[in-house]
Amino acid sequence: MLYFLRRTGFFVATLWAAVTLNFLIPRLQPGDPAQALLARLQGNTQAVNPAQLAAIRKMLGTHDGNLLSQYWDYLGAVVHGQFGVSYSYYPYSVTAMIATALPWTLILVGVTQIASFAIGTLLGAWAAYRRNSRVDSVITLGSTFVGTLPFFWIGLLLIFVFAITLNWFPDGGGYGGGSSPSWTWLFFSDAFQHSVLPALALLITGPVGWIIGMRNNMVQTLGEDYARLARAKGLPRRRIALTYGARIAILPNVTGFAIALGGLLGGTVLVETIFNYPGLGRLLLEAVSNKDYPLMQALFLFTTIGVLIANFLADVTYGFLDPRVRRAEAT
Amino acid sequence: MTRRPWRRTFVAVAASAALVLTGCTGTEGAQKSSAGSGMIDFLNYGDFGGGTTPKANYNPYLDATKLSAADYIYESLMNVETYSCKAIPWLATAYQWSDPKTLVYTIRSGVKWNDGQPFSAKDVEFTFNMLKKFDVLDTQGVWTSLASVKADGDEKVTFTFKQPGASAFTQVSGVKIVPQHIWSKVADPTTFVNATAPVGTGPMKLKSFNPRQLVVERNPDYWQADKIKVNEIRFNKADAGGQVEQLKLSRGEYDTNAMFVQNIKKAYVDRDPEHHHYWYAPGGVISVYMNLTKAPFNDVGFRKALTTAFDDKQVIDKAQLGYVTQASQSGLVVPGQKDWLPQGLADDGRIGYDAAAADKALTDAGYAKDSKGRRLGKDGKPISFSFKVPGSYVDWVAAADILIKNLQALGITVSKDTPTPDANNQDRATGNYDMTFGVFGGGCNMYANFSDPLNSARTAPVGKKAASNEIRWQDPKTDELLHTLQVSPDEKAQKEAVAGLVDIMMNQVPTIPIWYGAKWFQYDTTKAEGWPSAQDPYADGGNGLVVLTHLVPAGS
Repeated sequence: MLYFLRRTGFFVATLWAAVTLNFLIPRLQPGDPAQALLARLQGNTQAVNPAQLAAIRKMLGTHDGNLLSQYWDYLGAVVHGQFGVSYSYYPYSVTAMIATALPWTLILVGVTQIASFAIGTLLGAWAAYRRNSRVDSVITLGSTFVGTLPFFWIGLLLIFVFAITLNWFPDGGGYGGGSSPSWTWLFFSDAFQHSVLPALALLITGPVGWIIGMRNNMVQTLGEDYARLARAKGLPRRRIALTYGARIAILPNVTGFAIALGGLLGGTVLVETIFNYPGLGRLLLEAVSNKDYPLMQALFLFTTIGVLIANFLADVTYGFLDPRVRRAEAT
Repeated sequence: MTRRPWRRTFVAVAASAALVLTGCTGTEGAQKSSAGSGMIDFLNYGDFGGGTTPKANYNPYLDATKLSAADYIYESLMNVETYSCKAIPWLATAYQWSDPKTLVYTIRSGVKWNDGQPFSAKDVEFTFNMLKKFDVLDTQGVWTSLASVKADGDEKVTFTFKQPGASAFTQVSGVKIVPQHIWSKVADPTTFVNATAPVGTGPMKLKSFNPRQLVVERNPDYWQADKIKVNEIRFNKADAGGQVEQLKLSRGEYDTNAMFVQNIKKAYVDRDPEHHHYWYAPGGVISVYMNLTKAPFNDVGFRKALTTAFDDKQVIDKAQLGYVTQASQSGLVVPGQKDWLPQGLADDGRIGYDAAAADKALTDAGYAKDSKGRRLGKDGKPISFSFKVPGSYVDWVAAADILIKNLQALGITVSKDTPTPDANNQDRATGNYDMTFGVFGGGCNMYANFSDPLNSARTAPVGKKAASNEIRWQDPKTDELLHTLQVSPDEKAQKEAVAGLVDIMMNQVPTIPIWYGAKWFQYDTTKAEGWPSAQDPYADGGNGLVVLTHLVPAGS
């Protein structure tokens, strides 16, 4: 019990620290959101119209008052889930912007993360099961090789080959200009087509870590005494691999997976930027480059909370799965 | 063996997925335009604003977040095109200064809102008074000089200014007019996104919107509908300037666009020399700002000597890829604003590169070189300063490198400092620099063009943020000329004042213009002709409404 209390206390403390840093860091950056908006509008080749700049500043509402009272207001807003109006999408609220982008990221990245995990774990287990065979060398060497390729390069290559040269898939975006988001078959097939290339890019690079982790864990567990005993008892090889090897070797991967899901947002910036995908990652990038503090804060907050919750859950699960952890912490 | 069925299922799934894919390609609109009807079915335009996740917003006053459709739905009293600054009568047919504080517009009759209601002077009165009440919407700052706006019957609107208000003419003329019968019911126009069927007087109406494509269609009841030959404009979401966008441009997927392209001739024009064209009209004046509170920049002799020190041609050809033109020292944008130049100014005020002349002028002004070839200041020490340029503006950095080399050749020690754009803006505003780039002018409001960089009321001591006079020029003669320009409605007096300001630019050299920022504009004549060009500069590419009234089907 003490273990779980401790974990909860730690969780709350980290959460507070994260929320506070999230408030402070954007305010330490130099720059002016109104100027950033104008720059987005007209580039740097035209003179700034001071009247326009003043009107935009007034529209966004400059932050008055000292940092402490701002911080107090911010904490209150966070507790109530009020994130205010986005600067770069004025007058739309931060919540509305996140609600628009969230489903895209959840579906594209969520599905590919789960698939990557499944594929990676299976391939890793297979490689360990047939270790030192040709299958093992292909999987291990292949995934190591793919792992060295930069993600953006794979993305651009896919676009170049499948979108530009072969013209099989669209070159970017979440859906075509001709269709609007709606609950129709036409839209879904269109959205599906647009998701193929980014999903492929994620599926090429995603499983690499899981493969290597799973293979190494399993090779180790298969060398343990209980696995040897099972072999001596004459159990079928597949049963040894699945029930004795994989089941135990998968544990660290499960923790990793929980954390990966929590940090979903952070990992999507690149893929969504390359494929122009209308999800949270691209929204985050835009918020940062436009100095859209309210949007930035909310997105960072979601990321940190996601990671923290995932960590907390992983910790708690570990406590259940492995009694040694509980005991070690209690003493 | 349990594996086989799994494999078969997988093959089946893959096959059906492939079927779905091949069956559904080409949803992005592949219709052909039907020739012969005298109309253009549709044109593909570039980006429509609103960032990467655009949300419906057709509030014409929310400059930073509105979508492009608003520019074709709402119109202003006069349309001041931004190339040669002609005021084209639009919702007003004429204007007159009845005295220096009173401006009367005659409103066009027979104009209808696109919901069928008649447009009248009352709407103009309402619009301006709404901007007064909600000053956030007053992006032109008209109420800094206005005292009142009153409709006089259905056809006249009288604008009264606090002081003689000639300089406010372009601002007042450019305000988009909205219908009273709709906007008077809006509780808070500052957060009104006007998303469904926005009502305006313009040539286009909203047809459809999704975050990837914004479509406007022709308004058949438009007051100059006979000039509109385009049935539909489709704006396409773009990740501005990206490689993919360039490729789409080169394949002719856009009828017009406004993006930076690295090698425009090879990447675009050569792909279809007959139809692919570009014209980059000059925009803001990009200049060398010198901190006039510091030596040696506080000495006119030094500044004047530098006017021939910079190799403009190399900046234009190497750093700016030949897309821009050399700026006139007058501060005006030539040739568009040539009419404002005083008579007899050699080469419209462009001063060529002449290192020997600069060397001599510096020595004559008391900045001789020492035995080691170092240029000495009035205090006898070698001159040394830094050039600040935003590190991420690659083309500006390249230009700064050339200018620095030019200065070094004259024996001046110049170091390069590359802060972030934000830090650079901040430093320039507070006067924390020696030499840097700044942009001014280029607009159609002559008063603003000169007042923003030169008015002593718009500066601040070093350490405080200047409103816009970041070089910290303070000169009673300049202020006097600016005042004349601000208050005299008479064109002759205005031109004299501009001539006086040009004279100050030429002889006092408060700043050294180098090149004009380019207004990106590519166009394709496959479907439509009549785009503005260097040969036919009736407006620049950014004046969407004016351009639209000139477009005709190709070959007609």
